[in-house]
Amino acid sequence: MKGERLLIPLLLLAIWQGLSLIHVIPSYKLPSPLDILLGLKDLAVVGMPPGYRLHNHILYSLYRVGYGYAAACLIAIPLGLLMGWSPKLLKMIRPIVEVVRPIPPLAWIPLAILWFGLGLRSAAFIIFLGVFFPVLLNTIAGVLSINPILIEAARTLQGRERHIFFKVLFPGAVPSIFVGMRIGIGIGWMTLVAAEFTGVKEGYGLGYMIMTARDIQRPDEIVAGMLVIGMIGLLIDIAIRAAESMSVRWR
Amino acid sequence: MSLVLSGLSKNFPGEGGSEAVAVLEDIRFRVEEGEFISIVGPSGCGKTTLLRIIAGLEEASDGKVLLDGKELPQGSKEVGMVFQEYALFPWRTTLGNIEFGLEVKGINKKKRRAGAMEYIRTFDLNGFERRYPAELSGGMKQRVAIARTLIMDPEVVLMDEPFGALDSQTRNLLQQFLLHIWQKRRDTILFVTHNVDEAVFLSDRIVILSKRPARIVRTFDVDLPRPRDRTGAECNQIRRDILRVLAEETGAGSGETIFSQDCFTIS
Amino acid sequence: MKRLALFLLFHLLLFTGFAYGGPVRIAYLQSDVHQLPCWVAIDKKLFDKEGAKVEIAGIFKAGPELMSGFGAGAIDVGYVGIAPATTAVANRTARIVVLAEVNAEGSSVVVKRDGKVRAIPDLVGKSVAVPGYATVQDFLFRRALSKYGVSPEQVNIIVLKPPEMLGALRTDQIDGFIAWEPYPAKAITTGVGRTIATSRDIWKDHPCCVLAVDEKFLENHPEEARAVVRAHVKAIDFIMKHHEEAVKIAVKYTGMDEASIRLAMTNVKYTPVLSVEGEKEYVEYLTKMKYIKVDDVPAFVARFMRPGFIRDTAK
Repeated sequence: MKGERLLIPLLLLAIWQGLSLIHVIPSYKLPSPLDILLGLKDLAVVGMPPGYRLHNHILYSLYRVGYGYAAACLIAIPLGLLMGWSPKLLKMIRPIVEVVRPIPPLAWIPLAILWFGLGLRSAAFIIFLGVFFPVLLNTIAGVLSINPILIEAARTLQGRERHIFFKVLFPGAVPSIFVGMRIGIGIGWMTLVAAEFTGVKEGYGLGYMIMTARDIQRPDEIVAGMLVIGMIGLLIDIAIRAAESMSVRWR
Repeated sequence: MSLVLSGLSKNFPGEGGSEAVAVLEDIRFRVEEGEFISIVGPSGCGKTTLLRIIAGLEEASDGKVLLDGKELPQGSKEVGMVFQEYALFPWRTTLGNIEFGLEVKGINKKKRRAGAMEYIRTFDLNGFERRYPAELSGGMKQRVAIARTLIMDPEVVLMDEPFGALDSQTRNLLQQFLLHIWQKRRDTILFVTHNVDEAVFLSDRIVILSKRPARIVRTFDVDLPRPRDRTGAECNQIRRDILRVLAEETGAGSGETIFSQDCFTIS
Repeated sequence: MKRLALFLLFHLLLFTGFAYGGPVRIAYLQSDVHQLPCWVAIDKKLFDKEGAKVEIAGIFKAGPELMSGFGAGAIDVGYVGIAPATTAVANRTARIVVLAEVNAEGSSVVVKRDGKVRAIPDLVGKSVAVPGYATVQDFLFRRALSKYGVSPEQVNIIVLKPPEMLGALRTDQIDGFIAWEPYPAKAITTGVGRTIATSRDIWKDHPCCVLAVDEKFLENHPEEARAVVRAHVKAIDFIMKHHEEAVKIAVKYTGMDEASIRLAMTNVKYTPVLSVEGEKEYVEYLTKMKYIKVDDVPAFVARFMRPGFIRDTAK
């Protein structure tokens, strides 16, 4: 029953609010649910910093993530397809990938700022690094998981290399590509917020918003902002799953 | 049109320094247009390798495959292949699978669709055009696979134990179906099978291969009119002869036991 | 049973801050030459001489972070900007009282040395970096703008940490910045920038850093609080009388070159005397910016700072 699923969370919220009211939990260490709700209202109406409202922060963050995400997918997917197909290429590029991949995207921030400046492009670059590797590796795995007999069948149907690439490798790898894309966006979204902590030129961004709320000592807005970030991450995941299930109906 | 295999041999390199494994040895025979030829032999003897060489998926170590006197280039459009595992593209519908080769050839959508729908009708796949392979039964899947190959009108159709994965009733139905189609079209078919009964039911000629390295041991001509009575006297006789030859083949030499019989079955 | 009771009692005392003989936990800001009195007091053992054992509980990159330290109960005494301190108290994330001032003035607006910007009005349409929202520098900059009739919306104000400001200015990511010393001095000595407005130009004698103590600490250890303030006054005295040694100590604690430090110190006024009027201006500004909401300003200021405390500490 749907009602039952909400029962425990609501109960926890009530207890939390109660403990806050009697000051067992000090409000500056952990704001009460009510405080957070009011903080959310302030974020939306007044803005943090004042004048910079929530919906704009969301749009800017989404834009930065989208930019880096699109760039990463546009490069990683074709490259992954090629690397999955050509063992020689895989052998050549793999060592570079294995060395660069473990470096946390955030460690690149100083270099990113030197190369791309303070604005959109350095944030997008950080996102790019977080998204690129899961998409690439999952794409390669997707190609390698294709039953070789399908490639042979395509050859007997007169398929040339380019037909095999576009009509067999790519569609066959799609389920894995989606897995990579879902992992990638999760990492990308989390990385973005942290990347924005170091400051953004345009003055908008959810990470930046939270950092400012911290500077201006508004823990209620900090937590409200965190919830917004989490919700958006969830919505993005749902959206990708929906796209995935639509295109992988054949399973 | 004639297909000639002249002195085909195939060796696979030995692993880890051991000797090379000879799989095919001096295979030579000739296929005329419109013939239905079955290839029967002990398990692992190289029947599939032979088909793959003709299809251009592997290279022979020696010898040639000649179509009308000329060597077949790799990926030739003259040869089509049907696999035991169907090898249907799981992300494509029935129509999508059948149209695949036509797409590769660059035929426009309207013509493709019309052509594919023809085959849907003839192959009794009505109602399943938009289904995915995962939703089809084994028999249907193989029909789609055969349609996908035949729509390309290849000179030679190779079939690698196409009905091996099906239960015996479906198998019989599909044999009849294949016969029916073939009698209308008269494709040239090279049909690999373990099933002696199947070979006798369908073929004009039956080629028996030896154990590895495979040579042609015997060729049987089956001159009986179709449709044939599987349990009739003539079929029985041919079957007995073939089984005797196979028994000699597998009993001979290396101490292989009678369990090699699992490589040829009688339905 | 008895042992369990003692064990619990000990930890209870520890928890409520009654633990016997714990050192005073001091925090200051990294590389902020305004806080030289703190370093002098540590280096010359002035705290010890007044009878307070101290330990460094944290070195922070900016005021708001230091205030979070107070909120977490990790700091007893902090050298911090008056604006972040006011914001934290008004928004109830820290319970502190300001007992003395540390410095007045000591910031500058810096632009490219050979750039097109020669004066504040030239900053219209340009990017200028401040160390954070609700910082002293943020207020100073806006005040400077309004003095020249420029509205803050006409300038692209972005937040950067001061160490990043130099690099950003050098590579033309920003057109100017305002920061506390020694960063403006460093920009000048490296030939990257020049000052177009100092604190003195914008708001003469404005309070900048203050000495803040945790309310509970003050309540439970008033003697130690007084000792700290006494040491602080002596440290400022030392800086006035022994300039050369003070410079050396500043170099030691910032890690910066002597030339920059010397130049920086000419822009800073060290004084322990609190300015109530100055604080009132900050409260009004922060309220106007909607960072805080204070209804009764005089009452707030009275609770926030104790200007008379220094007098009481005289032995």
